[in-house]
Amino acid sequence: MTKTDAAPSLAGSASHQTGHRIRLPAETGAVIALAILVAMLGWLSPSFLEPANLLSMLGQAALPGLLAIGMVFVLAARQIDLSAGAAFHLSATFAALLMVDGMDPWPAALAGVAAGACLGLINGLLAITLRLPALVVTLGTWWMIQGLSLVAGKGQAVVPPKADGNFFAGLSGKAFVIVPVVAIVFVALALVMHVVLHRTRFGYRVQAVGSNPQAADYAGIPTGTVRLLTLMLMGAMAGLAGVIHVGAHGTIAPGDGSTFTLLAIAAAIIGGTALSGGRGSVVGAAIGMLILQLILSAMALFGVDPVWNSFATGALLVLALAVDRLGRWWRNRDGARTGDNPVG
Amino acid sequence: MSDSPILFVRTVAKRFGGTVVLEDMNLMVERGSIHALVGESGAGKSTLVKVLAGIVRPDGATIEFDGKKAIIDSPSAARKLGISVVLQQPGQFPERPVLANLFVNREPVHNGLISRREMEARSRDLLRQLGLAANVHAPLGELGPGDRQLVAIARALLESPRLLILDDPNSGLDQQQNERLSLALRGLRARGMSVLYASNRLQDALAIADQLTVMRNGRDVLTKARQDLTASEEAMIGQLRQSLFPLPLRALSQHAGTLRPQITIDGLGGGQLSGASFIARAGEILGIAGAGAQDLLALLFGLKKPRQGKVRFPDGDGLPRARVEAAQRNICMISGDRGNGLMPEKSIAFNMANVVVGARSWGPRWYSQRSAIDRAARQIEALRIRSTPEMPAGSLSAGGQQKVAIGKWLEIGPQVMLLDEPARGVDIGSKQEIYALIRQMAASGCIVILHSSELSELTGLCDRILAFHQGRLAGEMAGEHMDAGKLQKLLAAGKTAGDERQASRESAA
Repeated sequence: MTKTDAAPSLAGSASHQTGHRIRLPAETGAVIALAILVAMLGWLSPSFLEPANLLSMLGQAALPGLLAIGMVFVLAARQIDLSAGAAFHLSATFAALLMVDGMDPWPAALAGVAAGACLGLINGLLAITLRLPALVVTLGTWWMIQGLSLVAGKGQAVVPPKADGNFFAGLSGKAFVIVPVVAIVFVALALVMHVVLHRTRFGYRVQAVGSNPQAADYAGIPTGTVRLLTLMLMGAMAGLAGVIHVGAHGTIAPGDGSTFTLLAIAAAIIGGTALSGGRGSVVGAAIGMLILQLILSAMALFGVDPVWNSFATGALLVLALAVDRLGRWWRNRDGARTGDNPVG
Repeated sequence: MSDSPILFVRTVAKRFGGTVVLEDMNLMVERGSIHALVGESGAGKSTLVKVLAGIVRPDGATIEFDGKKAIIDSPSAARKLGISVVLQQPGQFPERPVLANLFVNREPVHNGLISRREMEARSRDLLRQLGLAANVHAPLGELGPGDRQLVAIARALLESPRLLILDDPNSGLDQQQNERLSLALRGLRARGMSVLYASNRLQDALAIADQLTVMRNGRDVLTKARQDLTASEEAMIGQLRQSLFPLPLRALSQHAGTLRPQITIDGLGGGQLSGASFIARAGEILGIAGAGAQDLLALLFGLKKPRQGKVRFPDGDGLPRARVEAAQRNICMISGDRGNGLMPEKSIAFNMANVVVGARSWGPRWYSQRSAIDRAARQIEALRIRSTPEMPAGSLSAGGQQKVAIGKWLEIGPQVMLLDEPARGVDIGSKQEIYALIRQMAASGCIVILHSSELSELTGLCDRILAFHQGRLAGEMAGEHMDAGKLQKLLAAGKTAGDERQASRESAA
């Protein structure tokens, strides 16, 4: 057993060995769930499968989906950001107010994204300097940010003037006749961020910190900076979503995006990101968000009162967690094999 | 009835994943006796203890307790039989007062309220007997490690067990506490209690035991009554460990005058450590032991801030300010605490990239899976890890995991290696390989500083040992003067006996 493989190409022999066991990507469960869901809904109501309908659903999923992308990074680093939805709202309000003040929409939008990143930076600095878990810090800043955007918007919807520019037209428009622009932004960003998480040093560090913060620390990985950057990224994504919301809907009203935080967390978990950190999938989170939107719009399609929406979202999240737990339990049981013999 | 053994264990087997920890282990503990179970760490003592405590389920075993067949499938089942266990790392509640820790889950209740008065009354005598003079209302965390250990033992004794199992109970105790514990155990034996005493310190075990079982690689090798043990057998048991260590390559350390990279430490203090001054040279393995040794490693790796003193590393700079800086300056720290070293659910390839990709801020910004796998394959071959790069690191045996923790540092070619119990809890085979690796690192010009609480590991592996007592450098031994017994005395008393002083003078010259 101690003998090492004599073959010179050890990497080759290694990949040969892994051929025996098939490793399913983390997104498999979400993809299967999505496929079943689409098939079922298509069977129940064929009009559901029309491209225009599906694409518009993708458009609806885009905004909370952007938050889910950021949330994957946060969760993979074993953090959580409860203030993301509020940051979405405040950045949107901030950008809209700048536009009301007569600023050109594009720089105002940029300022909105920057504001979101700043909120994330504050979260991160608080968490690191006070050595508090992000859960507690963002619980506090959630209410603070929410309060601030109420103050800034005076409790009313902020409607920027749509006088000029291609900002509003661009963001609310559709490419190739039926594809919503926001959907394109969402899909493109999801793909890019997926590569960032799995193929860059930053993504590597995020996963390392989330997998075992202490080991990461001992290996010389700058854990504090990594946490800070993930929370900033989360803020920036929330800011981007907020600005796009202003562009696409032309307004930001109190209560917009109030469910986004939980939707984002739920989507990330459904997509195979672990709450305990260490692994994440941006594409999975995007698929998870699609699943959530599909179910919500299916409920509307079948005439379920929308007051049931929050209940359905929560139930789906619990279901996803249960399935994930069962799957892990099953794998462990499989691996242990001999662990079940009773004593004696 | 009274002459049947209290505990009779036959053919216990247990494997974790691919590692066989227990294989055909047999043990018989007589009624009213103290039975010592000795063996290297990694021999399977702790696992056997956990099996008897109902924490680990064996793959196969026949256990008889008090002449009857017993099934111990949970900790409460063990307790019901009358088995109390003090584990190596007892689960304690540092924030809760000592009293609460003594009566976990068995608090005496009066009228629905927990009665502190009764807890005090019931524990007072025992604590006095054990020599624990602590305020029982203070949080446990305020006590020293020795006292905490005593609290754990007292908690087990308060269950008035028929069989008390102690796993390495004297690791945290000083000489005096140790003697008190022995006295208390003998007193309890006289009242009919049986004790199973697992330890890797042969001397302590011989001092207290009526019977002795030597354990190796998950098997019982030898069982004898203490008085039947001949001197030669005693020596043989002691020698079992010597074969572990690779022959030192002392060629380098002879040329003390040549210019070699070195760490100069001048009056360094921080944590428990104060005023330490010495030089660690490339090519030698410098052992450190005692109170403050761990702080020294923490300071050198930038885990702690120094209170005083100066340090000069071979690259001309002082102490690293943070771990990131240490890693970037090729100073590496390998800890036997596996929680500090491994990302268990990540692949071996991912873990091997920890330092190269994670800590460095130069090089490509991309994390390439292919080069990670190549890197892992290289280290897997070099370190003889029995797995493939894609497997999760947690699936490896303890020895394999530790090799991954070492391998990720070897990728950057470290200049300074700080080792904190690098072979703790690892099986014998891997231990040997890790020792050989450390030896090899030193021979290739690395500055190696090794901390260990296993003194035989230090005397077997190191070229030079610094002993710390209460945070101060108490003495130094080198070459043939190294001896675990003397070192033990030095650590406990902090005094240098005549011959040791001579030894330190010789090596300083």
